[in-house]
Amino acid sequence: MHEIRIAEDLSAIVLEAAKQENLSKVTMVNISFGQLVQIVPAIFEFAFRESVRDSIAQDAELSLEIVPVKMKCAVCGTDFQVKENHFACTDCGSTDLKIIHGKELFIKSIEGE
Amino acid sequence: MKNILDRNQNKADEVRKILSSQKVIMVNIISSPGAGKTTLLERTCEKLASRFRIGVIEGDITTDRDAQRLKKYNIPIVVINTEGGCHLDSHSISKVLDSFDLASLDVLFVENVGNLICPSQFDLGETFKLAVVSTTEGDDKPAKYPMLFREARAIILNKTDLIPYTNFSRQNFITDLRNINGSVPLLEVSCTKGDGLNEWFNWISGQIDPPATSVASPLKGG
Repeated sequence: MHEIRIAEDLSAIVLEAAKQENLSKVTMVNISFGQLVQIVPAIFEFAFRESVRDSIAQDAELSLEIVPVKMKCAVCGTDFQVKENHFACTDCGSTDLKIIHGKELFIKSIEGE
Repeated sequence: MKNILDRNQNKADEVRKILSSQKVIMVNIISSPGAGKTTLLERTCEKLASRFRIGVIEGDITTDRDAQRLKKYNIPIVVINTEGGCHLDSHSISKVLDSFDLASLDVLFVENVGNLICPSQFDLGETFKLAVVSTTEGDDKPAKYPMLFREARAIILNKTDLIPYTNFSRQNFITDLRNINGSVPLLEVSCTKGDGLNEWFNWISGQIDPPATSVASPLKGG
């Protein structure tokens, strides 16, 4: 249920940005979440709707992109996508890895008028 | 690109700075409800409270029952009731930090709310996360909650004494865990029977009080 808290923080940021830009209406919110964050999109959408209710963002469309997990091998430098929870370099087999993608909780853009 | 949890992250960085300046390590303990976090803390206090100055933050949805269980060790304990919230965040930690005399602590254990997903997303300002999982929950937890098992500095597998009464496969558990995190230390214990606890005491003691780096290398620091 971390979706609720993340949706609340998102709506606070959206409304603050809309105020700064003097928007009268927010029409679109583009976000990307890493796969490891395990957000359930339907629950997130519901939580977001509740947190922007009766605000200028109440009709905003939510565009949610889920980013697959991508790692970089610290030994041989190979970048690879993690499949089926297998966190080992696809080239040399090392498990000494750095995360590149998969933990994002990003707002890409906010649109309005 | 803006991180949605920036507010939590900034506060966590603040907490980390305060703890580091006071030389206190903070351990964020994450598990399902009933995996044995409080029992692990009981055993740890019994064994190590005379050696290290221990403090505890008890995150609980409601009640202070876990804190009551630790009172007998005469250590500073603060309860955070999340009133339904499924995880602690850095703001709730920051608010209670003043209740401790940090200068007279070596380690602050945070018992997070019992849950494997939500607490993994919220940095509290901890030095590291510790995952506790028990055999009665089944052997599929690493595969289902990869984030926690990637991020934890060590994994405690508790209730090993109950394996004969469950369908827990140690081999499946270890295979899944090693796929997700090839190098994380796995400590297999029974907090009620005592099996494996010495390894845990040694490991956590090494984290609180790392062995001094012996004779300085002539190549370093010229």
